[in-house]
Amino acid sequence: MNPTRPFHPYLMLLPTALLLAVFFFYPLFVAAKTSLTRWDLLTPASYVGLSHYAELVHSGELFELFGRTLVFSVIVVLGAGGAGLALAVALDRPGRFPAFCRSAVFSAYVVSWVSVALLWLWVLDAQAGVLNRTLAAAGLHPPDWLGDPRWALFALAGVTIWKITGYATVLFLAGLQDVPPSVLEAAALDGASPMARFRRITWPLLGPTTAFVTITSLILSFQVFDVVRVMTQGGPVRSTTLMVYAIYEEVFMNLRVGRASALVVAFFTALMLLTSLELWIFSKRRAL
Amino acid sequence: MNVRKVRNAALQTLLAAVAAAWLLPYAWMLLTSLKTLPEIVEAPAAPLPAGVSFEAYRAVFEALPVARYFFNTTLMALLIAALQILVALPAAYALSKLRFRGRGLALALIVATLIVPAQVRFVPVFSMLSEWRLLNTMAALVLPFGVSAFGTFLLRQALLGVPNDLVEAARVDGASEWRIVYSLLPPLLKPSLTAFFLFSFVYHWNDYFWPLVMTTDDSVRTVPVGIALLREQGTGVRWHVVMAGNVVLSLPALAVFVVAQRHILRAAVARWG
Amino acid sequence: MIRDGGLRIPAAARARTDVRAPWSRRRLLTAAAACSGALACGRERRDGRATASLWFTYGGRNREVLLELVAKFNASKPRYFIDAVYQGDYFEGLAKLRTALYARVAPTLSHVIGEVVPYLAEAGVLEALDGLPGAETLDVVPELGQARSWIGGDERPLVALPFNRSTPIAYLNGDIFARAGLAAPQSWSELRETARALTQRNAGRVTRYGFSCPISWWFWVAMVGQAGGAVIEPDGEVSLGGEAGVEALEFWQTLVSRDGSMRPPPGRDYNAWEQTNQDFLAGRAAMIWTSTAFLKYLEDNARFPVVAAALPRERRFAVPTGGTHWVMPRGASAPERAAAWEFLRFVHATEQVIHWSTSTGYMPVTRQAVQRLEASGYYRTHPNDRVAYDQLEVAMPWPWSTELFRVQREIVQPRLESAVLSRENARALLHEARLLARSSG
Repeated sequence: MNPTRPFHPYLMLLPTALLLAVFFFYPLFVAAKTSLTRWDLLTPASYVGLSHYAELVHSGELFELFGRTLVFSVIVVLGAGGAGLALAVALDRPGRFPAFCRSAVFSAYVVSWVSVALLWLWVLDAQAGVLNRTLAAAGLHPPDWLGDPRWALFALAGVTIWKITGYATVLFLAGLQDVPPSVLEAAALDGASPMARFRRITWPLLGPTTAFVTITSLILSFQVFDVVRVMTQGGPVRSTTLMVYAIYEEVFMNLRVGRASALVVAFFTALMLLTSLELWIFSKRRAL
Repeated sequence: MNVRKVRNAALQTLLAAVAAAWLLPYAWMLLTSLKTLPEIVEAPAAPLPAGVSFEAYRAVFEALPVARYFFNTTLMALLIAALQILVALPAAYALSKLRFRGRGLALALIVATLIVPAQVRFVPVFSMLSEWRLLNTMAALVLPFGVSAFGTFLLRQALLGVPNDLVEAARVDGASEWRIVYSLLPPLLKPSLTAFFLFSFVYHWNDYFWPLVMTTDDSVRTVPVGIALLREQGTGVRWHVVMAGNVVLSLPALAVFVVAQRHILRAAVARWG
Repeated sequence: MIRDGGLRIPAAARARTDVRAPWSRRRLLTAAAACSGALACGRERRDGRATASLWFTYGGRNREVLLELVAKFNASKPRYFIDAVYQGDYFEGLAKLRTALYARVAPTLSHVIGEVVPYLAEAGVLEALDGLPGAETLDVVPELGQARSWIGGDERPLVALPFNRSTPIAYLNGDIFARAGLAAPQSWSELRETARALTQRNAGRVTRYGFSCPISWWFWVAMVGQAGGAVIEPDGEVSLGGEAGVEALEFWQTLVSRDGSMRPPPGRDYNAWEQTNQDFLAGRAAMIWTSTAFLKYLEDNARFPVVAAALPRERRFAVPTGGTHWVMPRGASAPERAAAWEFLRFVHATEQVIHWSTSTGYMPVTRQAVQRLEASGYYRTHPNDRVAYDQLEVAMPWPWSTELFRVQREIVQPRLESAVLSRENARALLHEARLLARSSG
């Protein structure tokens, strides 16, 4: 349709444009500018050029941060995606009990991250936690999940998977609705085993869903902060210092705003690359 | 037939295990909150409390201005959702119904903001807001979230399904464009608006990061930030109190979920549309 | 927390009215005004009373005692009111304070750890307290006040007053020590033997550790001093104790990795302190080092006699002081400052100092309070309370260095954890830390 007045569309987009300019695009520009300075909030900033970037790369810190965040994300994406798919297949049937299970799993996605973090902090407590008490009673020697630098990152990944699996499940369930039952029935009549039916028919049809679940859970896990903040504060020995927590710590604990801004720029670049990579794979898949 | 029975039993067991894995932690939270400190110190893993004690809840309400946090959080989430809808409606209308130069670019820019999450923006926005003396105000919590790319996109998709004739007819009747956007369209978009509202409300009600960074004052603190403070350091974490606070924090979200499950699931899947 | 439903404009809203206007301000202000208008109701209102905001970072029992003091102040001073807000642990609270200073929404009064006071003072964000009425009569114990908490502290304008001051002390499980016929170790070698002797194993797994101590900078600084070094030399050079620093860190490594007699408590910052207390109370650690701050908490909650003891020596006895100092951030109004100052004088009155000290375990910070406790025979019946105070004889003042906090938090603390928990080379780590400290300075 044509607008009644030519400026109408622009006027209607004006609030959006203003808010985006002030709270999305301008901040990115400011971050890029601040990353070239040394600034502690309390005393005047001084220009230091690219030295924050050089230092982050040179000291290996940037690489280490990305590596750790990526390991965490891969575990979460595979874990939540895999569990989500399995649960979707298991729960894709009529009846009250499956419906109840769907709700139970999804409920964790609705509850806040803080809530989930506090809950698991208590369950995973090395000495008094119900998990280790139970395992010890069964004669096992469970590790100190959150206190051992070898385990803490995995423990946080596990908690994150618990939190977002419901979301993946719901998306896969929606995807499964696009699989025509008649095709599956025909295949079954032809003697295809359930496994073969899944591999040949369901899985290919779930392609777009899988891609979407992967993108969203990847981006989500890249942004994880609350569980780190509440459960480990990045420790022990920085083993759970993920990207966003590192930025937070640089700004608020260390008052190194310039350095934090350099991390922000690196983080944003990574998010952009990841998203375009995913979109590229996604579009290639669709073209097939 | 027998194979089927066995498979069915296996499936039921699996489902029960799944339900347990997700529900037992909540049960544990609730049970812990009804215990007393000596009980927890003595036998932290005892399944049932010796008796029902609300001491922990009393401690939560004494330690924190819970009512105030609830008020702040609800107000914040309501204002954000309302602002997002007010801003997204005309934008979605323009993007779906009006022909103009730069439409594709505008849509692309809005969707692109999905990759500029709060965690990327907070450092510069924090210093901007503090320069404007807006830290510790509702404005700092609400305005930065005024645009929801997801919501704009969702409403645009829904509007594509609304016949143009309806809009034309309203124009012929002399309705202004603003009237069309704010009073003709909303009833037609009810399912999408409900889903969008609920999704936004729950998301921001639960948000920890932004209020943590932008507030220092009790007068604007939100429930998640307040409850996280219960995990006091120093002289013994009082787990029963932390879990009582956690019940207080998670119950509203769970209640909304139970009541409006259909809409929330719709919103979760709608991202997709 | 609606107490009388009156209206009080939040400090943030008040501060907003006197600044220059950037371009989009009107828009934002309209929204902000609408919002804060809706919010202002429900804040406590004290008609005509000068009100100071106080940010505090005590948890648990210490928090309760502080709130008692605040309540008592508010009840007894009709002209003043203290509005106390909890801000998380020391580090969280400090983060909040510094960002609030930048945003000019700082409280009238707060308390911060000693390591950060020079930085804040030199950044010019602290109010000088010298000239305030009655400042000269406060009678602070010099080792606990600014005068001797920092090298040359008495030559600078007064910006910090002591409140909860501590030294690290050893806590012994009286039952275990009595059964083993052991006494508090006096030297590192005795500590090592005692820890080994008290460690119990069952099927190869440790069921009780002889010793536990948070892997925290504070205790390491104590050990550096005991080994004869100083973390920062008097001329300001960040030496990290040189050889003494390595010895101290390697001593921890020996206890943890070689002897298996010390448990490095998991968790970061105060999580680890917390865990140490729990291990001690549950009998999983026979002896711990932690702050005197937990004395009353441990005494009250232990089901065995708690014996406090001074830290041992290597070449000499030495401890740092810890805890926090009161500071008044710049920028408060005159009535706010008056209320805060009145509160500071109130908490420095003998009665309050004694109440705070004897209900928590922190040291009494005025000489009059010490004399009164002495005279009343309190220390004869409570010898544990005396340990931290007696250690003041060997207390090491902190250097007045703006880099101190950064050295602690960013450079040293993570490396202490790496050395003990991930078993990395102590000497190499400290060497790296020294280089970093020099380059960032």
